[in-house]
Amino acid sequence: MFEVELENISKSYGSEPVLDGVNLRFERGRFSVVLGSPVSGKSVLMRLIMGLEPPDRGRVLYRGQEVTAQPAGLRNFGYVPQSFALYPHYRVFDNIAYPLILAKKKANLQARVEKVAQKLRIDHLLSKYPNQLSGGEKQRVALARGMIKDSSVFILDDPLVGLDFKLRESLFVDLRDMLSEVEGSVIYSTSDPLETLALADDVFVLDDHRIIESGSLDQLYEEPHQARTLQILGVPAANFIEGKLTGRICTTPLGECEIEVAEETAASRAVRIGVRAEDIRFQDLGTSYLLGEGRVLLREDLGAETLLYFEAGGLRFVGFWSNGEAAPIQEEQFKFGVDPSSLHVFDAGSGTRVAEARSVLVRSN
Amino acid sequence: MAEVELAGITKSFGGFVAVKDVSLHFPAHTTTCLLGPSGCGKTTLLRIIAGLETPTSGTISIGGQDVTRWPARRRDIAMVFQYPVIYRGLSVFENIALPLREQKLSKQELTSRVEDAIGLLGLERSLKMDPERFDNGTRQRVAFARAVARRSSIILFDEPITNVDPESKFRLKQDLKKITERVRQTIIYVTHDQNEAMTLADQIVLLKDGEVLQQDAPRRVYNHPQQRFGGWFLGSPGMSFLEHPFDPAQGGRLQSDLFPFPVRIAQAQSVSVSAQTALRLGIRPEHLRVSTMPEADSVPGTVLRKFRGVAGQYLVAIKLSKHLVWAKVRHEVGKSLGETVWLRCRPEAVTVFDDQDQALSAGLVKDSPKDSP
Repeated sequence: MFEVELENISKSYGSEPVLDGVNLRFERGRFSVVLGSPVSGKSVLMRLIMGLEPPDRGRVLYRGQEVTAQPAGLRNFGYVPQSFALYPHYRVFDNIAYPLILAKKKANLQARVEKVAQKLRIDHLLSKYPNQLSGGEKQRVALARGMIKDSSVFILDDPLVGLDFKLRESLFVDLRDMLSEVEGSVIYSTSDPLETLALADDVFVLDDHRIIESGSLDQLYEEPHQARTLQILGVPAANFIEGKLTGRICTTPLGECEIEVAEETAASRAVRIGVRAEDIRFQDLGTSYLLGEGRVLLREDLGAETLLYFEAGGLRFVGFWSNGEAAPIQEEQFKFGVDPSSLHVFDAGSGTRVAEARSVLVRSN
Repeated sequence: MAEVELAGITKSFGGFVAVKDVSLHFPAHTTTCLLGPSGCGKTTLLRIIAGLETPTSGTISIGGQDVTRWPARRRDIAMVFQYPVIYRGLSVFENIALPLREQKLSKQELTSRVEDAIGLLGLERSLKMDPERFDNGTRQRVAFARAVARRSSIILFDEPITNVDPESKFRLKQDLKKITERVRQTIIYVTHDQNEAMTLADQIVLLKDGEVLQQDAPRRVYNHPQQRFGGWFLGSPGMSFLEHPFDPAQGGRLQSDLFPFPVRIAQAQSVSVSAQTALRLGIRPEHLRVSTMPEADSVPGTVLRKFRGVAGQYLVAIKLSKHLVWAKVRHEVGKSLGETVWLRCRPEAVTVFDDQDQALSAGLVKDSPKDSP
């Protein structure tokens, strides 16, 4: 049985479709991340699960029982909205207690607030106001408010959006710890790939009003079935080049390689080929690699590493190396290579993966 | 020339002190990034330089001239904001030319300045389009061109690439890099993004709580943070810190969980602590070597967490005695949580901070008996 299921959910605002036939199954005890662009409708999806908005069509189920018509107060899901959204004129205590007051469950209010505050190590802050708190403390208060109802499902709607990178970086590490302590299921939305990589057990990619792909984080990172997944799940965004597939021979601007395809077609078809930054090599270029010559556009210094944006044959690429290694790319022009087995080949029209297996070099340019 | 000098600048808003006694030098023709978290005072400082805020105390001079009381208009400064400014109903050319219209330039001069800026920013193909229809990235490039065309002595940027999509971000960074390399103006750039600062700046001014923590070349700020905060703030993740008791009577010697051997501070006499205290050892993730088997000079730790970061690298959090340290590892290290791994690092890679979080000028070395005083 799944903790939360969405069946064929659609939602429009006027003539604008936001969600169109969304099917989703969140497993119990997992940290599930819904990843989508800022305008993909993630927030609407979270509010639908929470019961803050009704769908136009479709059903929401909790442990197999339909809850579509049940109001938010009765769903017993914990909720952390975007940017925490604390009530500025309430003390921390009242901010945390608010969902219980709203649900008219005032029995043992004091004790329950104190208990959750202790768990999140904010019991010393209960009489303060939100503007007296640091970013990390605010997050704890928002989480405490989300946890006060003894829920087994926690819905976090892009809680770190808009915060400084360094604050987010430290918060998402804490967040995973705090949530694993409460042993519930987490449904978390974000447009940030680094957050997704740090937090997720399972990833659901929301794009073009639908869930286009879902699975474990490793599966989606290593072998995405949709070009769009490769593009948005990873930092920096993967490189894409256009190519052509004839039978098993894939022609790319860097050379030709042979790939194992699910279905061989006699006529050639257009493909999009994805290459992750870490799969572009600048030294020890193997004889089985596709090779090219690049010209530097920008070196971005990450401190320990460098992202190298470069141009090759009119195409733009981004590669990566650790500053600790010898950096061969001091020159404005340099050679680079790609192991064909690291290519992700997608149909250009549908964006669906065509090669299930590893590809090998036939001819490099 | 247009060097900028701030002397003892303080700015209070009611009871809140946003900028505390800041003195800074911005050399002419260089790019300085004011870097720090929200609320560090970086934007307030920028607005004070622009003349959009008046300091509570202190003076600003530009090219040796005190401009503290000068209104913004008189200061010969171009400014680019977080949200791109586009003038409605004007073409791209006119959007760029507008500030030049008040300067009584010859038509030829005006056209050539605008065209130079258009060329630098690669806006040629956008000239015929309505700038109001541009995405935020292209709008911001028009704003960059406007700032460049003015040929003011100073250009200020206030987090100019915050509100754009990732694709435009790359383009804008490339444009900014070009601007910093090609134009002769003094550039002051505000950001909370360490990577932007490291990539664009000739010098970084690191700010926290309205105070300057460090002013140095980017690699120097990264490699030699003067305060613990800088070690943490730069790098992703930043430095990990191990706290250890320190007794100055021991000739600079200390025992750290990071090393199986005793270490000591290279020039013990340079340590100003006189009483027993605690020191913190700061170590960057990339300076820790982690292996699944014991190696010479390594210490055991337990893997607490592991996940992918930028470009698929694995980050691991390792419990080392009572400390938590971060490292960057290969796929095969830390396959299961709770696994024992072995850490090794060179004492020289450590930055030592005193109990006031100030970096010691001296480094750490392995203590061998023959070095005993």
